[in-house]
This record gives sequence, structure tokens and C-alpha cells, in this order.
Amino acid sequence: MSHTQVAPQNRGAVAALVIPVLAGGLVAAALGVYGELHPPTGFAYGLAGFSGPLAMKVWLTTLAALLAIVQVFSAFAIWGKIPVRGSWPGVVHRWSGRLAFLATVPVAFHCLYSVGARYDDPRVMFHSIFGCVFYGVFVTKMLSLPKRGLPGWTLPVVGGLLFTLLIGLWLTSSFWFFTTIGVQF
Amino acid sequence: MSRLGPIYTLAVGVVMTAGLTVASATASPQIQETAAVPAAAGGADPLATPEATEEATPDATQEPEEVAAPEQEEDPTPKKADYAGVVDQNGGLIAISIRKGKVVGYFCDGKIEAWLRGTAADNTVTLEGKDTLVTAALRGGKAQGRIEYKNKSWRFSAATVKKPSGLYRATAQVRGARVVGGWIKLPNGQSVGRIMLGENSGEAAAAFDGGVQEWYGIPLTPQDPDQFIDSFLSPAAPAS
Repeated sequence: MSHTQVAPQNRGAVAALVIPVLAGGLVAAALGVYGELHPPTGFAYGLAGFSGPLAMKVWLTTLAALLAIVQVFSAFAIWGKIPVRGSWPGVVHRWSGRLAFLATVPVAFHCLYSVGARYDDPRVMFHSIFGCVFYGVFVTKMLSLPKRGLPGWTLPVVGGLLFTLLIGLWLTSSFWFFTTIGVQF
Repeated sequence: MSRLGPIYTLAVGVVMTAGLTVASATASPQIQETAAVPAAAGGADPLATPEATEEATPDATQEPEEVAAPEQEEDPTPKKADYAGVVDQNGGLIAISIRKGKVVGYFCDGKIEAWLRGTAADNTVTLEGKDTLVTAALRGGKAQGRIEYKNKSWRFSAATVKKPSGLYRATAQVRGARVVGGWIKLPNGQSVGRIMLGENSGEAAAAFDGGVQEWYGIPLTPQDPDQFIDSFLSPAAPAS
């Protein structure tokens, strides 16, 4: 993100973003390094109830992607772009976001622990990069939320980036599985 | 909103990751235990493949039968032999099948796997696969040797086995990806297998019963080495 066009009076506000962005960058880089260096185990513990780990990942990612769509609409409501009464959009936004994040944890764990980052196939390469960056941006957003006086564009930009990355992750994994193997549980 | 809410969210994610790490690190190998294979009798072969019956009769001797006119009269290497056994320390299984000097092999512990190809001469087999090198000496009806996988090395001793024990492979083409399944079955009922979707996605196979294996709705027909060795070794076949 370029900060060069920010007006001088916003400099303090932008400075407040330094730590969240740095922390997010470190997380993304750490995940990438781990994915590269950790020898893939070919196996990872996951949630029971699916016929295999691939199905588990495919459906948890799909759940997260659906919740991400809820995120976009509840964010519109919070910002008054969709007229609603009451404070429930905030509650919906927080809890759908938490659920979406927690749904991705077993998936990302399986990816990084069992498979690792790969760059030999475009689908897998983009998936690896999106996955590492996603958690970096997520950390940036979580660390930004409690801060006061951030630039007004912070949360829409970071949230939009998260949505885009998650949909990219879904397209390069679940959507690929559904179109290659079929809709299987 | 609580200022700490987002921090709690991150903390729960970290705790989940730690729990998954501990559970995965302590998980046992994916060797399937089923009932021991009944002594192969002519009519009791559970395999549905048409070629199964001709192989079902056990050979009384440990010297495998010769299937073609021997080209090298002096070489004591079996012309046809199937070995399968446990890999020490790793706990996975390895299977080696010799057909007229050509050798196919498979190593799998449910988590990692390697398809192997190589040669046999002077009662020694040498096989190579992705990140894997196997050498074994053939004597007394056994293949005994060493497997090097990445920077690890394990010993193994694989005894002669007869169908329905041994090595099986199944391939299928789905839209845009190749599915390759591999299984090893031991006479004591242990089995292990892994199914790969493309080069990068795969998972441990369910307990192997010899018949068509359904995987996410894809029927996989396991073939024995007699059936798959030629297509597996031919250069046109994609490496797996």
C-alpha cells in the first residue's frame, strides 16, 4: 500500500498503521518460509466427519467463502451503504468473521503442515501465495480494529483485500475440486 | 466493542493451530489392520479382475515360475517374483515386483509414498523414484535392503507374497487431473495405500479389500503388476 498520496494532516493516522502492517507482513513471510522449509508430512490432523482431508478442506473453505459474502454485506450495513436499523450488522459482521477465520485454520494447517508451499503449478502457486498473504492481512486487520484514529479507508481496504484473497483461495482449491472431481463430501 | 475482541480471535486461531500441531505430531501411521488374507485358494480369490484367477494358485516353491524363455541362462535373478514387507522404524510397507528383469515398486506409509522403477540382475534390485532410492538383495525368497527417502534411510525385509497380497495400482483420468492410487497388502491383513489427485493433492486410502475402490465417487480399479507394469514403465506414461 502506497502512503505517498496521503495528505500531511493524516500522517499521524497513517503512522498508526505501521505496527499492524509490519506484524501482518511478518506473519505472511513467516508462513511462506515455513511452507518452503518444513518437510511435508503428507498427513495432518483435521476435523472428522468428512470422507477425507481433501473433502474437509474443500467444504471448510466453502463455508469460509460463504461467510465472507456475509462479511461484505454486513460491512455495507455498518457503513450505512445498506439501510438497516439497529446494531445487529456489527454483531453479524464480528461473528461471521470469527467463524470464517476459525473455519480456515484447520484448512491452512493441513496445507502448510502436510503439503507445504509449492510453486510448480500455477493453481498451487497462486493458492500458496494467497494463503500466506491472507493471514498477514488478517493479522493487520485484527491489530487495526482496536486502534483509534486510523485513516477512514483502512478497514474497507483491508477488509476488501481479505475478501478478494479468500475468494481467490476458494477458486484455486474448492472450485478446482468441484470442477475436477465433482461435488463430493 | 471490546478492544481485545480481535486479539482474542487471533489467540483462538493460535491455540487451534497449536492443538492441531500436537495432535498431528502424535498421530499414528496410517497402516490399516484387517482380517488376515485367507490362504489363496482357486475359487476364493476376492479380486474381481478377470486376470485374477490364473495367478491365484499358490506356488509351492519359493522360486517363482518362469513366464518366458530365459534370455540369460546364468543369471539367478527370479524372472517373476513379488515381495512385500514392513519398512523398519518407518512402519510403512514396501512392495517390489520383478518381471523379466524389469522391476516396479511402491513404498507407502499412508503419509508419504514413492512409486519406484528399476532393474534386477545378479539377485540384486535397484529402484528409483521421486526422492527415493531402493536397493535390495534377493535371497531365500526375500528381498532385503534399504530405502533412502529424502535424507532418511530405513532397512526392510520383504518376503515373497502371492495374490491377493502384494502391490496394486489404479489410475483414472478425471476432468483435468490424473488420479493415481497405490496399495500394498500383506498376507497378515495389513494394508496401506495412498491416492493422489494430480501432483500436489492426495490422501491416505481406506483399508484395501482388493475390489474397485471408490474415491470421491471415482471408481478406481486396482491392477496387479502383471497388468500395470508395461504402461507404468513405458516412457509415454507420465511420471507419478
